[in-house]
Amino acid sequence: MSQANNENKSVQDKLTDLSELVGWFQGSSFKLETALDKFKEAEALADTIEKDLTKLKNDIKIVKKKFDSEN
Amino acid sequence: MDAVLLSVSDFVDLTNQTLEYAYPVVQVEGEVAEFKVIQHKWISFKLKDDRALVSCFASVYQLRTPLENGMKVVVVAQPKLNDKGFFTLNIKAVKPVGEGSIKKGFELLKAKLEKEGLFAQERKRLLPRVPKRVGVIASTESAGYADFIKIINERWGGLQVDVAHTQVQGTPAPDQMIRAIRYFNSLEEMPEVLIIIRGGGSAEDLSTFNDEPLVRAIAESRIPTLVGVGHEVDHTLADMVSDVRAATPTNAAQILVPDRNEIIRTARAQANTVGNLLTQAIDNYSRQTKDNLEAAFTRIQQKLDDTFERLGVLRVAIAQLNPENVLQRGYALLRGEQTVGATLEIETFKTIITTEVKDVTSK
Repeated sequence: MSQANNENKSVQDKLTDLSELVGWFQGSSFKLETALDKFKEAEALADTIEKDLTKLKNDIKIVKKKFDSEN
Repeated sequence: MDAVLLSVSDFVDLTNQTLEYAYPVVQVEGEVAEFKVIQHKWISFKLKDDRALVSCFASVYQLRTPLENGMKVVVVAQPKLNDKGFFTLNIKAVKPVGEGSIKKGFELLKAKLEKEGLFAQERKRLLPRVPKRVGVIASTESAGYADFIKIINERWGGLQVDVAHTQVQGTPAPDQMIRAIRYFNSLEEMPEVLIIIRGGGSAEDLSTFNDEPLVRAIAESRIPTLVGVGHEVDHTLADMVSDVRAATPTNAAQILVPDRNEIIRTARAQANTVGNLLTQAIDNYSRQTKDNLEAAFTRIQQKLDDTFERLGVLRVAIAQLNPENVLQRGYALLRGEQTVGATLEIETFKTIITTEVKDVTSK
Protein backbone atom coordinates (compact mmCIF):
# COMPACT_ATOMS: atom_id res chain seq x y z
CA MET A 1 0.00 0.00 0.00
CA SER A 2 1.71 3.19 -1.11
CA GLN A 3 1.55 6.61 0.52
CA ALA A 4 -0.06 8.02 -2.67
CA ASN A 5 -2.81 5.41 -2.49
CA ASN A 6 -3.51 6.33 1.12
CA GLU A 7 -3.96 10.00 0.28
CA ASN A 8 -6.96 9.22 -1.93
CA LYS A 9 -8.62 7.02 0.64
CA SER A 10 -11.32 8.01 3.10
CA VAL A 11 -10.77 7.72 6.83
CA GLN A 12 -13.11 4.75 6.80
CA ASP A 13 -10.98 2.99 4.17
CA LYS A 14 -7.84 3.71 6.16
CA LEU A 15 -9.45 2.28 9.29
CA THR A 16 -10.33 -0.85 7.32
CA ASP A 17 -6.72 -1.11 6.08
CA LEU A 18 -5.45 -0.78 9.64
CA SER A 19 -7.77 -3.53 10.86
CA GLU A 20 -6.61 -5.74 7.99
CA LEU A 21 -2.99 -5.17 9.02
CA VAL A 22 -3.80 -6.27 12.57
CA GLY A 23 -5.50 -9.32 11.06
CA TRP A 24 -2.41 -10.07 8.96
CA PHE A 25 -0.25 -10.07 12.09
CA GLN A 26 -2.66 -12.46 13.78
CA GLY A 27 -3.24 -14.67 10.74
CA SER A 28 -1.46 -17.49 8.97
CA SER A 29 0.05 -15.23 6.28
CA PHE A 30 2.38 -13.66 8.85
CA LYS A 31 6.06 -13.59 7.82
CA LEU A 32 8.74 -12.09 9.97
CA GLU A 33 10.62 -10.91 6.86
CA THR A 34 7.79 -8.51 5.88
CA ALA A 35 6.46 -7.83 9.39
CA LEU A 36 8.61 -4.77 10.01
CA ASP A 37 7.36 -3.07 6.83
CA LYS A 38 3.78 -3.91 7.78
CA PHE A 39 4.34 -2.48 11.24
CA LYS A 40 5.70 0.76 9.75
CA GLU A 41 2.67 0.86 7.47
CA ALA A 42 0.32 0.45 10.44
CA GLU A 43 2.04 3.27 12.33
CA ALA A 44 1.85 5.55 9.28
CA LEU A 45 -1.84 4.73 8.85
CA ALA A 46 -2.58 5.54 12.51
CA ASP A 47 -0.75 8.86 12.02
CA THR A 48 -2.69 9.81 8.89
CA ILE A 49 -6.00 8.78 10.47
CA GLU A 50 -5.25 11.05 13.40
CA LYS A 51 -4.23 13.91 11.09
CA ASP A 52 -7.28 13.45 8.85
CA LEU A 53 -9.70 13.34 11.74
CA THR A 54 -8.15 16.35 13.44
CA LYS A 55 -8.16 18.59 10.39
CA LEU A 56 -11.50 17.60 8.80
CA LYS A 57 -14.37 20.09 9.21
CA ASN A 58 -18.04 19.50 8.51
CA ASP A 59 -19.62 21.38 5.64
CA ILE A 60 -22.97 22.69 6.86
CA LYS A 61 -25.28 24.30 4.29
CA ILE A 62 -28.75 25.67 4.80
CA VAL A 63 -31.01 24.59 1.94
CA LYS A 64 -32.22 27.66 0.05
CA LYS A 65 -35.62 26.22 -0.66
CA LYS A 66 -38.45 27.48 1.57
CA PHE A 67 -40.82 24.93 3.01
CA ASP A 68 -43.60 27.21 4.20
CA SER A 69 -45.68 26.61 1.07
CA GLU A 70 -45.88 24.04 -1.71
CA ASN A 71 -43.82 26.27 -4.06
CA MET B 1 -84.88 52.51 7.93
CA ASP B 2 -86.86 49.74 6.26
CA ALA B 3 -85.41 46.29 6.41
CA VAL B 4 -84.02 45.01 3.11
CA LEU B 5 -86.12 42.37 1.47
CA LEU B 6 -83.98 39.38 0.49
CA SER B 7 -84.56 35.98 -0.97
CA VAL B 8 -83.60 33.08 1.28
CA SER B 9 -80.61 32.34 -0.92
CA ASP B 10 -79.51 35.97 -0.86
CA PHE B 11 -79.92 36.04 2.90
CA VAL B 12 -77.70 32.98 3.27
CA ASP B 13 -75.14 34.52 0.90
CA LEU B 14 -75.24 37.84 2.74
CA THR B 15 -74.85 36.13 6.08
CA ASN B 16 -71.85 34.19 4.75
CA GLN B 17 -70.28 37.35 3.30
CA THR B 18 -70.75 39.10 6.63
CA LEU B 19 -69.30 36.16 8.49
CA GLU B 20 -66.39 35.92 6.11
CA TYR B 21 -65.68 39.61 6.50
CA ALA B 22 -66.02 39.59 10.29
CA TYR B 23 -64.51 36.16 11.02
CA PRO B 24 -62.59 34.81 8.04
CA VAL B 25 -61.04 32.25 10.39
CA VAL B 26 -61.92 31.48 13.97
CA GLN B 27 -60.31 29.28 16.56
CA VAL B 28 -62.80 27.64 18.87
CA GLU B 29 -62.02 25.44 21.81
CA GLY B 30 -64.52 22.88 23.05
CA GLU B 31 -65.28 19.23 23.65
CA VAL B 32 -66.01 16.81 20.82
CA ALA B 33 -69.46 15.19 20.84
CA GLU B 34 -71.47 13.12 18.36
CA PHE B 35 -68.36 12.40 16.29
CA LYS B 36 -69.21 10.67 12.98
CA VAL B 37 -67.35 9.60 9.85
CA ILE B 38 -69.58 9.77 6.78
CA GLN B 39 -68.80 7.52 3.79
CA HIS B 40 -65.10 7.41 4.85
CA LYS B 41 -64.78 10.91 3.38
CA TRP B 42 -66.38 13.38 5.72
CA ILE B 43 -66.48 13.91 9.41
CA SER B 44 -68.98 15.77 11.49
CA PHE B 45 -69.16 16.43 15.19
CA LYS B 46 -70.46 18.91 17.69
CA LEU B 47 -68.13 21.16 19.57
CA LYS B 48 -69.58 21.99 22.94
CA ASP B 49 -68.94 23.59 26.26
CA ASP B 50 -71.19 23.73 29.33
CA ARG B 51 -73.55 26.26 27.77
CA ALA B 52 -73.52 25.90 23.98
CA LEU B 53 -72.66 23.72 21.05
CA VAL B 54 -71.83 24.22 17.40
CA SER B 55 -71.73 21.81 14.44
CA CYS B 56 -68.41 21.15 12.79
CA PHE B 57 -67.73 19.68 9.39
CA ALA B 58 -64.52 18.59 7.64
CA SER B 59 -63.04 16.14 5.17
CA VAL B 60 -61.19 13.20 6.69
CA TYR B 61 -57.98 14.53 5.10
CA GLN B 62 -58.14 17.59 7.32
CA LEU B 63 -58.12 15.46 10.42
CA ARG B 64 -54.47 14.97 11.36
CA THR B 65 -55.13 13.24 14.65
CA PRO B 66 -57.90 10.74 15.36
CA LEU B 67 -60.78 12.19 17.37
CA GLU B 68 -63.13 10.66 19.86
CA ASN B 69 -66.09 11.96 21.79
CA GLY B 70 -65.08 13.73 24.95
CA MET B 71 -61.72 14.99 23.61
CA LYS B 72 -60.94 18.64 24.13
CA VAL B 73 -59.84 20.28 20.89
CA VAL B 74 -59.19 23.60 19.24
CA VAL B 75 -60.61 23.90 15.75
CA VAL B 76 -59.41 26.39 13.19
CA ALA B 77 -62.46 26.95 11.02
CA GLN B 78 -64.55 29.16 8.85
CA PRO B 79 -68.07 29.82 10.14
CA LYS B 80 -70.72 29.20 7.53
CA LEU B 81 -74.45 29.03 7.14
CA ASN B 82 -75.25 26.30 4.65
CA ASP B 83 -78.09 26.23 2.14
CA LYS B 84 -80.14 24.00 4.41
CA GLY B 85 -80.05 26.64 7.11
CA PHE B 86 -77.56 24.91 9.39
CA PHE B 87 -74.76 26.89 10.91
CA THR B 88 -71.47 25.01 10.85
CA LEU B 89 -67.81 25.53 11.39
CA ASN B 90 -66.01 24.33 8.26
CA ILE B 91 -62.84 22.99 9.70
CA LYS B 92 -59.39 23.81 8.34
CA ALA B 93 -57.47 22.21 11.21
CA VAL B 94 -58.22 20.54 14.49
CA LYS B 95 -55.85 19.66 17.28
CA PRO B 96 -56.33 18.17 20.70
CA VAL B 97 -55.55 20.44 23.65
CA GLY B 98 -54.91 19.67 27.27
CA GLU B 99 -52.84 16.79 28.53
CA GLY B 100 -55.66 14.25 28.55
CA SER B 101 -56.83 14.91 25.01
CA ILE B 102 -53.32 15.09 23.58
CA LYS B 103 -52.61 11.75 25.21
CA LYS B 104 -55.87 10.31 23.94
CA GLY B 105 -55.13 11.49 20.38
CA PHE B 106 -51.65 10.04 20.67
CA GLU B 107 -52.97 6.65 21.84
CA LEU B 108 -55.64 6.48 19.13
CA LEU B 109 -53.16 7.26 16.34
CA LYS B 110 -50.53 4.98 17.84
CA ALA B 111 -53.00 2.08 17.88
CA LYS B 112 -54.02 2.81 14.28
CA LEU B 113 -50.45 2.97 12.98
CA GLU B 114 -49.38 -0.02 15.05
CA LYS B 115 -52.16 -2.04 13.43
CA GLU B 116 -50.73 -1.07 10.04
CA GLY B 117 -47.31 -2.31 11.15
CA LEU B 118 -45.60 1.06 10.87
CA PHE B 119 -43.65 0.56 14.11
CA ALA B 120 -42.56 -3.02 13.31
CA GLN B 121 -38.92 -3.82 13.96
CA GLU B 122 -38.63 -5.47 10.52
CA ARG B 123 -39.17 -2.07 8.90
CA LYS B 124 -36.23 -0.51 10.71
CA ARG B 125 -33.20 0.16 8.54
CA LEU B 126 -29.64 0.49 9.73
CA LEU B 127 -27.86 3.81 9.47
CA PRO B 128 -24.45 3.90 7.77
CA ARG B 129 -21.68 3.73 10.38
CA VAL B 130 -19.97 6.81 9.02
CA PRO B 131 -22.22 8.76 6.64
CA LYS B 132 -20.69 11.25 4.21
CA ARG B 133 -23.80 13.26 3.48
CA VAL B 134 -26.87 13.81 5.65
CA GLY B 135 -30.02 15.90 5.56
CA VAL B 136 -31.30 17.68 8.66
CA ILE B 137 -34.79 19.00 9.23
CA ALA B 138 -34.89 21.46 12.11
CA SER B 139 -35.47 25.02 13.08
CA THR B 140 -32.03 26.55 12.66
CA GLU B 141 -32.90 29.05 15.40
CA SER B 142 -33.56 26.36 17.99
CA ALA B 143 -31.31 25.30 20.86
CA GLY B 144 -31.79 21.67 19.81
CA TYR B 145 -30.28 22.40 16.39
CA ALA B 146 -27.37 24.31 17.97
CA ASP B 147 -26.68 21.34 20.28
CA PHE B 148 -26.81 18.91 17.36
CA ILE B 149 -24.36 20.92 15.24
CA LYS B 150 -22.01 21.49 18.20
CA ILE B 151 -21.83 17.77 18.94
CA ILE B 152 -21.31 16.63 15.34
CA ASN B 153 -18.53 19.22 14.93
CA GLU B 154 -16.90 17.99 18.13
CA ARG B 155 -17.21 14.35 17.20
CA TRP B 156 -16.57 14.16 13.47
CA GLY B 157 -15.37 15.97 10.34
CA GLY B 158 -15.77 15.79 6.58
CA LEU B 159 -19.52 15.42 6.77
CA GLN B 160 -21.73 17.29 4.32
CA VAL B 161 -24.81 18.49 6.22
CA ASP B 162 -27.72 19.96 4.27
CA VAL B 163 -30.17 21.67 6.60
CA ALA B 164 -33.82 22.33 5.77
CA HIS B 165 -35.04 25.09 8.05
CA THR B 166 -38.66 24.54 9.07
CA GLN B 167 -40.91 25.38 11.94
CA VAL B 168 -40.96 22.57 14.49
CA GLN B 169 -44.03 23.63 16.44
CA GLY B 170 -47.35 25.24 15.64
CA THR B 171 -49.92 24.49 12.97
CA PRO B 172 -47.68 24.99 9.89
CA ALA B 173 -44.85 22.84 11.28
CA PRO B 174 -45.99 19.35 10.18
CA ASP B 175 -46.61 20.39 6.57
CA GLN B 176 -43.28 22.22 6.40
CA MET B 177 -41.46 19.15 7.69
CA ILE B 178 -43.37 16.90 5.25
CA ARG B 179 -42.26 19.17 2.38
CA ALA B 180 -38.68 19.02 3.61
CA ILE B 181 -38.82 15.20 3.82
CA ARG B 182 -40.17 15.06 0.26
CA TYR B 183 -37.54 17.55 -0.90
CA PHE B 184 -34.66 15.39 0.39
CA ASN B 185 -36.28 12.24 -1.02
CA SER B 186 -36.64 13.87 -4.42
CA LEU B 187 -32.96 14.76 -4.78
CA GLU B 188 -31.01 12.96 -7.46
CA GLU B 189 -28.26 12.38 -4.95
CA MET B 190 -30.12 11.71 -1.74
CA PRO B 191 -28.46 12.10 1.65
CA GLU B 192 -27.61 8.85 3.40
CA VAL B 193 -29.54 9.73 6.55
CA LEU B 194 -32.40 12.12 7.24
CA ILE B 195 -32.33 13.60 10.73
CA ILE B 196 -35.32 15.34 12.26
CA ILE B 197 -34.60 17.17 15.50
CA ARG B 198 -36.28 19.40 17.99
CA GLY B 199 -35.40 20.29 21.56
CA GLY B 200 -37.62 19.91 24.60
CA GLY B 201 -41.02 21.52 24.93
CA SER B 202 -44.49 21.14 26.32
CA ALA B 203 -46.69 18.19 25.37
CA GLU B 204 -48.59 20.55 23.09
CA ASP B 205 -45.38 21.75 21.39
CA LEU B 206 -44.22 18.20 20.83
CA SER B 207 -47.66 17.10 19.59
CA THR B 208 -46.52 18.39 16.19
CA PHE B 209 -44.56 15.14 15.98
CA ASN B 210 -47.76 13.13 16.50
CA ASP B 211 -49.29 14.51 13.33
CA GLU B 212 -50.51 11.61 11.18
CA PRO B 213 -49.37 12.89 7.75
CA LEU B 214 -45.94 13.77 9.20
CA VAL B 215 -45.59 10.34 10.81
CA ARG B 216 -46.58 8.70 7.53
CA ALA B 217 -44.12 10.86 5.57
CA ILE B 218 -41.32 9.71 7.90
CA ALA B 219 -42.40 6.09 7.46
CA GLU B 220 -42.45 6.50 3.67
CA SER B 221 -39.03 8.16 3.45
CA ARG B 222 -36.68 6.28 1.15
CA ILE B 223 -33.83 7.77 3.14
CA PRO B 224 -33.26 6.08 6.53
CA THR B 225 -34.49 8.37 9.29
CA LEU B 226 -33.10 9.36 12.67
CA VAL B 227 -35.50 11.32 14.86
CA GLY B 228 -34.48 13.08 18.07
CA VAL B 229 -37.32 15.08 19.59
CA GLY B 230 -37.63 16.50 23.09
CA HIS B 231 -35.98 14.88 26.09
CA GLU B 232 -35.30 11.27 27.03
CA VAL B 233 -38.76 10.88 28.59
CA ASP B 234 -40.64 12.28 25.58
CA HIS B 235 -42.03 9.78 23.12
CA THR B 236 -43.61 10.88 19.88
CA LEU B 237 -45.04 8.86 17.03
CA ALA B 238 -42.43 10.45 14.74
CA ASP B 239 -39.60 8.88 16.70
CA MET B 240 -41.46 5.59 17.05
CA VAL B 241 -41.88 5.30 13.28
CA SER B 242 -38.32 6.38 12.48
CA ASP B 243 -35.61 3.87 11.68
CA VAL B 244 -33.58 5.00 14.68
CA ARG B 245 -34.85 6.92 17.68
CA ALA B 246 -32.59 9.34 19.47
CA ALA B 247 -33.52 10.52 22.96
CA THR B 248 -32.50 14.13 22.25
CA PRO B 249 -30.90 16.17 19.43
CA THR B 250 -27.53 15.73 21.18
CA ASN B 251 -28.09 11.99 21.26
CA ALA B 252 -28.98 12.10 17.54
CA ALA B 253 -25.55 13.62 16.82
CA GLN B 254 -23.91 10.92 18.97
CA ILE B 255 -25.74 8.18 17.09
CA LEU B 256 -25.06 9.73 13.68
CA VAL B 257 -21.27 9.99 13.79
CA PRO B 258 -18.54 8.24 15.76
CA ASP B 259 -16.32 10.16 18.16
CA ARG B 260 -13.11 11.12 16.33
CA ASN B 261 -11.09 10.98 19.58
CA GLU B 262 -12.28 7.47 20.19
CA ILE B 263 -11.37 6.49 16.61
CA ILE B 264 -7.92 8.04 17.02
CA ARG B 265 -7.46 6.11 20.28
CA THR B 266 -8.59 2.90 18.56
CA ALA B 267 -6.23 3.48 15.60
CA ARG B 268 -3.34 4.13 18.00
CA ALA B 269 -4.25 1.03 19.99
CA GLN B 270 -4.30 -1.01 16.77
CA ALA B 271 -0.87 0.31 15.76
CA ASN B 272 0.37 -0.58 19.28
CA THR B 273 -1.16 -4.03 18.95
CA VAL B 274 0.73 -4.49 15.67
CA GLY B 275 3.93 -3.34 17.46
CA ASN B 276 3.34 -5.79 20.30
CA LEU B 277 2.61 -8.60 17.86
CA LEU B 278 5.84 -7.80 16.00
CA THR B 279 7.86 -7.77 19.26
CA GLN B 280 6.20 -11.01 20.29
CA ALA B 281 7.00 -12.58 16.92
CA ILE B 282 10.64 -11.44 17.15
CA ASP B 283 10.84 -12.82 20.71
CA ASN B 284 9.38 -16.13 19.53
CA TYR B 285 11.84 -16.33 16.65
CA SER B 286 14.77 -15.41 18.94
CA ARG B 287 13.70 -18.00 21.47
CA GLN B 288 13.31 -20.58 18.75
CA THR B 289 16.72 -19.74 17.27
CA LYS B 290 18.33 -19.86 20.72
CA ASP B 291 16.67 -23.21 21.40
CA ASN B 292 17.88 -24.52 18.04
CA LEU B 293 21.42 -23.30 18.72
CA GLU B 294 21.38 -24.83 22.19
CA ALA B 295 20.19 -28.12 20.74
CA ALA B 296 22.96 -27.98 18.12
CA PHE B 297 25.59 -27.23 20.79
CA THR B 298 24.32 -30.05 22.92
CA ARG B 299 24.58 -32.44 19.97
CA ILE B 300 28.10 -31.22 19.15
CA GLN B 301 29.09 -31.57 22.79
CA GLN B 302 27.76 -35.10 22.85
CA LYS B 303 29.69 -35.95 19.70
CA LEU B 304 32.84 -34.48 21.20
CA ASP B 305 32.32 -36.38 24.44
CA ASP B 306 31.82 -39.61 22.51
CA THR B 307 34.94 -38.95 20.42
CA PHE B 308 37.03 -38.15 23.49
CA GLU B 309 35.81 -41.31 25.15
CA ARG B 310 36.79 -43.37 22.11
CA LEU B 311 40.11 -41.56 22.00
CA GLY B 312 40.72 -42.49 25.63
CA VAL B 313 40.04 -46.15 24.84
CA LEU B 314 42.37 -46.00 21.85
CA ARG B 315 45.01 -44.28 23.94
CA VAL B 316 44.88 -47.11 26.48
CA ALA B 317 45.07 -49.64 23.64
CA ILE B 318 47.96 -47.79 22.03
CA ALA B 319 49.70 -47.42 25.39
CA GLN B 320 49.44 -51.14 25.86
CA LEU B 321 51.08 -51.68 22.50
CA ASN B 322 53.95 -49.26 23.19
CA PRO B 323 57.32 -51.21 23.07
CA GLU B 324 58.64 -49.02 25.89
CA ASN B 325 56.02 -50.58 28.18
CA VAL B 326 57.19 -54.07 27.10
CA LEU B 327 60.84 -53.08 27.77
CA GLN B 328 59.76 -51.75 31.14
CA ARG B 329 58.38 -55.16 32.01
CA GLY B 330 61.97 -56.58 31.48
CA TYR B 331 61.88 -57.60 27.86
CA ALA B 332 64.56 -56.46 25.37
CA LEU B 333 64.42 -55.47 21.76
CA LEU B 334 66.93 -57.17 19.44
CA ARG B 335 67.97 -55.50 16.21
CA GLY B 336 70.40 -56.94 13.66
CA GLU B 337 71.00 -60.06 11.62
CA GLN B 338 70.97 -63.29 13.57
CA THR B 339 74.07 -64.82 11.98
CA VAL B 340 77.37 -65.77 13.59
CA GLY B 341 79.72 -62.84 13.67
CA ALA B 342 77.02 -60.26 13.04
CA THR B 343 76.62 -57.32 15.35
CA LEU B 344 73.36 -57.10 17.24
CA GLU B 345 71.81 -54.20 19.09
CA ILE B 346 69.93 -55.08 22.25
CA GLU B 347 67.69 -52.42 23.67
CA THR B 348 66.48 -52.78 27.23
CA PHE B 349 64.31 -50.36 29.16
CA LYS B 350 67.31 -48.38 30.31
CA THR B 351 70.24 -49.42 28.06
CA ILE B 352 71.24 -50.20 24.50
CA ILE B 353 73.80 -52.98 24.23
CA THR B 354 75.85 -53.75 21.12
CA THR B 355 77.06 -57.38 20.91
CA GLU B 356 78.39 -59.93 18.51
CA VAL B 357 76.58 -63.16 17.58
CA LYS B 358 78.66 -66.14 18.69
CA ASP B 359 76.30 -68.92 17.93
CA VAL B 360 72.89 -69.40 16.33
CA THR B 361 70.99 -72.52 17.18
CA SER B 362 67.56 -73.43 16.08
CA LYS B 363 65.01 -74.10 18.87
